[in-house]
Amino acid sequence: MRIENTKCECGHQNYAGTVLCESCGKPLYDDHGSEPLEMRYDGVARRSQRGNPTWLDRIWNFFSSVKIAIYLILITLAASVLGTVYPQENTFINLDPSTYYKQTYGTTGEIYYLLGLSHTFDSWWYRLLLFMIGTSLVICSLDRVLPLYRALNKQQIRKHPGFLSRQKVTLTCDIAEPGDQTSQEQWVQTMASVLRKRHYRVHTDGTALMAEKYRFSRWGPYINHIGLIIFLLAALARSIPGWHMDQYMGFIEGQTLKIPNTPYYLKNEKFTVDFYKPEEMSDKFRQRDLIVPKMYETQAVLYQCTSRCGTADPVLKEVARHPIRVNDPLNYHGFMAYQFDYKETPRLISVTPSLRNKQTGEVYGSIELDMNNPQKSYQAGPYRLELKSYFPDFGLDEHGQPMTKSNEPKAPAFIFTITGPGMEKGQPYLYFPRMIDKDTYRQDDVNGAVGQLLDLSVGSMEGVKIAQYTSYLNIRVDKALPYIWFGAAVSMIGLVMGFYWQHRRVWLRVDDGKLLLGAHTNKNWFGLRKEVAAALGKAGIEADPKTLETGRKTL
Amino acid sequence: MSFESFSSASLLAAFIVYNLAFLVFVLSILGKRWSRRDPSAHTRRWGWFAFLLAAAGFVCHLLFFFTRWYGSGHIPTSNMYEFMTFLAMMIMFAFIIVYLIYRIPVIGVFALPVAVIIIAYASVFPSEAQPLIPALQSYWLKIHVTTAAAGEAFFAVGFAGGLMHLLRTVEYKSDSRKAKREQQGVEFTLFVIVMIIAFVASTFLFHASGYEARFSTQITQTDKAGNEQTVDQTTDYVLPPIVKPHGSTIVSMKPFLGIDKPLFEAPAWMNGVNAGRKLNTVIWSVILGLVLYAVLRLVARRRLGEAIQPILNGMDPEDLDEISYRAIAIGYPVFTLGALIFAMIWASEAWGRFWGWDPKEVWALITWLFYAAYLHLRLSRGWQGKPSSWMSVIGFLVVMFTLIGVNLVIAGLHSYAGV
Repeated sequence: MRIENTKCECGHQNYAGTVLCESCGKPLYDDHGSEPLEMRYDGVARRSQRGNPTWLDRIWNFFSSVKIAIYLILITLAASVLGTVYPQENTFINLDPSTYYKQTYGTTGEIYYLLGLSHTFDSWWYRLLLFMIGTSLVICSLDRVLPLYRALNKQQIRKHPGFLSRQKVTLTCDIAEPGDQTSQEQWVQTMASVLRKRHYRVHTDGTALMAEKYRFSRWGPYINHIGLIIFLLAALARSIPGWHMDQYMGFIEGQTLKIPNTPYYLKNEKFTVDFYKPEEMSDKFRQRDLIVPKMYETQAVLYQCTSRCGTADPVLKEVARHPIRVNDPLNYHGFMAYQFDYKETPRLISVTPSLRNKQTGEVYGSIELDMNNPQKSYQAGPYRLELKSYFPDFGLDEHGQPMTKSNEPKAPAFIFTITGPGMEKGQPYLYFPRMIDKDTYRQDDVNGAVGQLLDLSVGSMEGVKIAQYTSYLNIRVDKALPYIWFGAAVSMIGLVMGFYWQHRRVWLRVDDGKLLLGAHTNKNWFGLRKEVAAALGKAGIEADPKTLETGRKTL
Repeated sequence: MSFESFSSASLLAAFIVYNLAFLVFVLSILGKRWSRRDPSAHTRRWGWFAFLLAAAGFVCHLLFFFTRWYGSGHIPTSNMYEFMTFLAMMIMFAFIIVYLIYRIPVIGVFALPVAVIIIAYASVFPSEAQPLIPALQSYWLKIHVTTAAAGEAFFAVGFAGGLMHLLRTVEYKSDSRKAKREQQGVEFTLFVIVMIIAFVASTFLFHASGYEARFSTQITQTDKAGNEQTVDQTTDYVLPPIVKPHGSTIVSMKPFLGIDKPLFEAPAWMNGVNAGRKLNTVIWSVILGLVLYAVLRLVARRRLGEAIQPILNGMDPEDLDEISYRAIAIGYPVFTLGALIFAMIWASEAWGRFWGWDPKEVWALITWLFYAAYLHLRLSRGWQGKPSSWMSVIGFLVVMFTLIGVNLVIAGLHSYAGV
């Protein structure tokens, strides 16, 4: 262990690792150089520079390094680039990634998949990188902001000449007779009032002066980092159960569906889509002959289930109603439904056929058949129709037996048992609401004698209800959102503070009629030089902004 | 005269005035040597005149923007042509701000060409106003796109400053390995710019001469019901086809220099949207870029960087370095706000998630991370001067890839902003 003497000649005891005396600014190392001083963090010792580190210190030291932070940023950057080479797995809804990448992109695609790059942004290592950046943000900031705060909070007015002459902006010149104390102090007071006019906070101590403005901009980066930390924590908080939900559901017009894992039911009452008319397009665009949707909207009703939830007939209470459009979601206390997509899917909702005697033409009455939820029996005049089976998507299996291909009413078929006058024992009757199915599966032949006598059919389109579209909604809950926006806002405030203002300081001392001035800013030297030259001009010293600069490389 | 044509005429006027302003900026610096007047007074007077011209061009540009907005009923930032012309306008805005801070005419010599090239590049894309699809019908279209473009415009000025700093400081007399590498780097950057100019110019020339070629490819598509069907997809070429799309047949092709069929076929793995045509465009750009570069080299009789360097001789390299850094420092918060925060708010409103790892989003993040690294290296690791300037040049490349490359190469949710 190295023992350092960290006491400055001005009598101030500095921490080990201090570069410039915290009090008078005298350079503690490289005492006799003439190069401009390294003014980062005002030369204070950071926690990470303490001697004799423990293992905790070592972790701290690792994450407190800006170099490490930059490596982390660059590695994340490179990983993100790789993640955009091919589409990520989550951009597809139904897909087997183990074959997709090989089939679509060949060998490189397979390598991409095997390396796990097809889910870069969900991978543990990408998360780990973000987590390490977060840690680095916390530690880097703490490591610097506390000592910097201490240093800026107790600045000495009279700085060491070695500190002043080695600033990037500096000037020495004679301003008064060596013995003339009053005129020296007077000049310092003139300079003080000139600088005050330029919004500096000025402190004087006899023939020494320190002026400072916009110190708050030094805290900008740290506030920005705090904002980013809040942002990252909020993003992390979405893995808390119940904080985040994300699912896609298709609603046929008129359909009410239960939203899984919630007490809510959502109904698509009506879906409308509007297209741009040719006269709404510019002349040149019209020639391209494209159909562009103008607006699509789902008239949605949100119900809360109060009892018998999840059963066939739940008790529902309407809680919200909203026309959902792209950019205009339904929002009920954080339960969000977004318009995601739509598909043209002509589907029968219900038909109202009438039962008719084929021979006499007598109409007995009509029944309303709901394709999603048919009743057990219907009554049409003297006839009773018992529903024996219902096939929403009718087809025949390999043995020629009727079956349903899906639960969607794409090709509905009903098998009734009809009882009534002349058929007391009950006769089976097959009914296809769609004409095309009726012909394909030869309804009349199958029904035989009953088919000769009775006819169940829809007279006009008025008896048919069709849903034209399926509306796809994205159902979401995201409780972290307010914290995300808060973090982003804090971060933005920090950025503005740090980038649109600069911390400027001017120190000067007059010894034996000789002025020694030094000035420092954390950004925008051009502006500082101009300002110092203008202030000196007001106080009677002509100085060109360029000549104030020391240590410039000449090319 | 319709709004559409008045608007286009305003843009053309802006384009011409910008070019004039550029020439006057060049004269303000070169002219001081052959006039008998006081050199600094000459530069000041002509620099000021050039600046006023640039500002007049900016007014024409604004006129273009607002008449087009009025004509189409929505803010003209919804396709590639509109966005690129808007970006050029914001670059001029950023230039005006930076110019007013530093009042150094040489900034105009480098910033104006960036805006001019971007306008020229914009006109390669179809210029007709498109009706707005529902996803874009939000006031966030105005807020997000304009702020993001403003941030990027400052990065563009930062790029101009960085390139100026490099041109000023690269030692053309030296033979050291480091100097050689820097000379090559600067020369390559200039070559890329020459290549873009060659590409834009050739597209215009072939378009104006009415050249066209058409290919058809049979592609198998699976429709939403899961049925496979074969469709004919036609691809129109503006530039004479050196390569044709993979597996395509010629529908029509005008002979070019006596060549009446494509020389090559694009490889099979290039199966993206219009991949064959894009490859053809890249090949043409490289060929014409090399030709134009060779012509310029022959005229200048030395490396282009060496030929440009004298313009910058009077400049203080540290000032150039600071201009570049300053522009990026002004742009960074604006970019963060526009391209990330506003983008997240809009995404959360339109798509229900504030972040979805869409390629465009990821590339905005990459740009942001890149400039974050730039700022940390500069502020905490003392990377000033050349390393910093190189980063500002590369950074702008990242910005342009985010804006154009992602749309052309990677498909995603932002594909409506495509060609």
